[in-house]
Amino acid sequence: MLELIAGKYNYWMYIVLMMIGLYGMMGKRNLIKKVVGMSIFQSAIILFYVSIACKKGGTIPILEHAHGHGHEEHIVHVASYINPLPHVLMLTAIVVAVSTLGVALAVAITVYRRYNTLEEDEILGFKNE
Amino acid sequence: MKFLSFIVAVITGGFLIYGTQDMPEWGDPNSPASLHVSPYYLENTMHDTATPNVVTSVLADYRGYDTLGETTVIFTAGISCALILRKRRRKKRK
Amino acid sequence: MILQLDFIFILFVIICAIAALAVKDILSAVIILGAYSYFMCLLWTEMGAVDVAFTEASVSAGIGTVLMIAAVSKTTRRSKD
Repeated sequence: MLELIAGKYNYWMYIVLMMIGLYGMMGKRNLIKKVVGMSIFQSAIILFYVSIACKKGGTIPILEHAHGHGHEEHIVHVASYINPLPHVLMLTAIVVAVSTLGVALAVAITVYRRYNTLEEDEILGFKNE
Repeated sequence: MKFLSFIVAVITGGFLIYGTQDMPEWGDPNSPASLHVSPYYLENTMHDTATPNVVTSVLADYRGYDTLGETTVIFTAGISCALILRKRRRKKRK
Repeated sequence: MILQLDFIFILFVIICAIAALAVKDILSAVIILGAYSYFMCLLWTEMGAVDVAFTEASVSAGIGTVLMIAAVSKTTRRSKD
C-alpha cells in the first residue's frame, strides 16, 4: 500500500492541480481570473510530462566527460541519464503557452475598452445600445 | 453555477485518478516513454552533433522543424496581438 | 529526484494555485501566479529538467507576469470573485 502511494502520489497531485485550473476556468466570473486558471491548467500538464521523464538514480541529460578526453568514444549508460525527449517537447509547450496568454490578455483588454467591465455577467447583461 | 462547475471538476478528477492505475510507477527506468527513441538520442548525440547537452541537440538538430513551427506560432501570436490591440480610426463624417 | 523535497514543493505549488484563484484583488492574484511559476521552476530543477526550468523562469515567470501586470494596468484591478 505504501509502495503504491509512493509510486503514484505525484500523478494524483498533478490531477488535483489540473482540476484547480479547470474550476478556475469554469467557475470564476472575471476574465483575468479565467486566464489565471488556464495558466495553471497548462503548467499542470507540462509538469505531468516532465515527471514522465524521471528515472530513479538518473542525472540531468548532459553527457559527462564529453569534451577534452581525446577522441576515444565513451560508452553512454542510458539508464543513468534521464529521458531528454519530454523536456524538448515541453520547452516548446511553455513558449506556446506564453503566446496564448498574450493573445488572451489582448482580447480581455479589447473587451474592457468596449464594455468597461471585466465581469462576465455584467457583459452578458449589457444592453446593445 | 459555481457549485455545478465544482461538481464537474470533481467528477473529471475522479475519472483521471481512476486512469492512473495503469501508469508506470514514478521514476521507473523501464517505463515505455524512456525505451523507444530516447536511447538513440543519448547514445548517438556526441557522434552526430558533437553537443554534450542532449536537450539542445534534440531541440536544434534532430527536431529542428519542430522549433521552426514554434517560431511560426510565436510570430502569429505577435501579429494577432498587434491587430487586436490596434486603435481603430473612427469613420470620417462627410 | 528526492521524494521529500518533491512533496514539499508540490504542496507549495498547490497552495499558490488555490491562493491565486481565491484572492479578490487581481493584482495580488497575478503576483501569486508569479510565485507559483517560480515554485514550479524549483520543482523542475529538482526533477532534473534544467533546461525546462530556466525557460520557465525567464519566459513564464518573467514575461508572463509582465504581460499580466500590463493587462491589469490597462483595465481594472477590482473583481467580484
